[in-house]
Amino acid sequence: MNAQAIRILFLKDLFLSRWPLFGYLVGGLASAAVACLPNEAAGFIGFIMMVTVTIAAGIHLIGVLLLAESADMTRTFVMSLPISLLDYSVAKIAVVLVTFLIPWAGMLASLMVMVFVIPEAKPGVLPFLVMVFLFMLAGFCLQLITAVITESVGWTIVVVVLGNVLLNVFLKELREQPSISSLIESETLRWPPLALQIISVEFAAICVALGVAVLFQLRRKDLA
Amino acid sequence: MSAVLDPPLGAIAAASLRGVSKTYRHFHLRDIDLEFATGTVNGLIGPNGAGKSTIMRIMMGLVRPDRGTVAMLGRPASSSESSAKREIGYFSEDMRLYKAETIAFHMQFVRSLFPDWDERYAEELLDRFGLIAKQKIKGLSQGQRVKALLLLVLARRPKLLILDEPTNGLDPVAKQEVLSELMQTVKDEARTIVYSSHHTQDIEQICDTITFVDRGRVIASDDRDGFLNGWRRFRLQAPGSWVPPQIAGLRAEASFGNLRVMTIDRYRPDVEEQLEASGATLEGSEAMTLEEIFLATVTRGREECRR
Repeated sequence: MNAQAIRILFLKDLFLSRWPLFGYLVGGLASAAVACLPNEAAGFIGFIMMVTVTIAAGIHLIGVLLLAESADMTRTFVMSLPISLLDYSVAKIAVVLVTFLIPWAGMLASLMVMVFVIPEAKPGVLPFLVMVFLFMLAGFCLQLITAVITESVGWTIVVVVLGNVLLNVFLKELREQPSISSLIESETLRWPPLALQIISVEFAAICVALGVAVLFQLRRKDLA
Repeated sequence: MSAVLDPPLGAIAAASLRGVSKTYRHFHLRDIDLEFATGTVNGLIGPNGAGKSTIMRIMMGLVRPDRGTVAMLGRPASSSESSAKREIGYFSEDMRLYKAETIAFHMQFVRSLFPDWDERYAEELLDRFGLIAKQKIKGLSQGQRVKALLLLVLARRPKLLILDEPTNGLDPVAKQEVLSELMQTVKDEARTIVYSSHHTQDIEQICDTITFVDRGRVIASDDRDGFLNGWRRFRLQAPGSWVPPQIAGLRAEASFGNLRVMTIDRYRPDVEEQLEASGATLEGSEAMTLEEIFLATVTRGREECRR
């Protein structure tokens, strides 16, 4: 593995995605700010905006950085350079993940800060937010695997839609769990065992998805 | 048929393919054996879909063959191996640059991966090709796009250049500029070029050795002079009862009344004597262009496959 080549590829892709990345970061931070307004309707709208920004960022960044490179034949140009498939795969998956994580982490971090800074906010909501954000990250990783394996915009959109449906089911199920729903209005921050179990499963799913994405990319026979 | 051209004495092969095969759903590349000697300019000619691009992609490690071995500059070619690519420049007609970025961005990107990038030469090429570094790729014409890609390939001073249809879609002026630059490049005797095209004139102009590819097979391989001097077409007047003599390398024969046209691929000066001794009157003999030789070879190859 050539660390220098990976760094160059990573920075190149980061530069290529600078404008959408900036847009999603601004959109995400604005959504987080709306979600923290001391008004129930604003909180709901802000939450929906955050989910929308996350889903849009995921599909757009996968499209710009991964699918477009294969469809536009720019990958042939990149792979004609002294870069191995391992360098390419590691750099590509890392940059797609990092560009998604920037607005994702920006939103989650600003929510965390605001939960503790705004007097009216309920810190107990934090585990709920972490579970939801990790669910969206896991959904993004699933989209990433789909894009790597199929190189198809159509299939990736199918997974996005499926992920969106599952997110709604997940939110409903969470709210129906007494140990979780009681957290949302709680003034104190607690991490019940069920929340920790869900977070562990989400982490495991994310790791497996990323591993599969790298492995599949490495097993690819033809790049052009 | 497969073919291996013996490299000149003392020469080391810059690239070699041994028993390479690749199967797609509707296309098979079969048993390709090729060797490209260091310091030579090698042409691959074939119709669209013949397998030229697949051969080149396999050489670059972009496509993994189902069978066979490929060595590039003494190292194995594979997608996991990147060291050989440090000294190889690859151009493909379907290769694209990032549309929204400038030529300067691409120069900077490629330079960061090639320590031997020749900035002065890159600037020279910019000037010679009439390109502007700040120009975005999406604003370039087809000819400018090809020149920008060639600039990115040539300025790294590669030992081996693999060029897949570089003059496709170029106007005659742009084509001549590109070919002239390639001729300049091959003045360095240590540099090897593998050049594919279905434009036989381009290949005839710059290549030392030529390989014909059709339907996934190598159907002939020889040096340029071997092809051009070896092939001849004879026009004869002969009565209907005339029995043609046994001539080595007879490739095609056609009759139009008493006029006979014979094509041979192993011309020797005594062929005319043989024909006249057989009772025919020789009206003329002419050398064939590479395109005619290619067409005759492809036609014969396809007829043999059908039998």
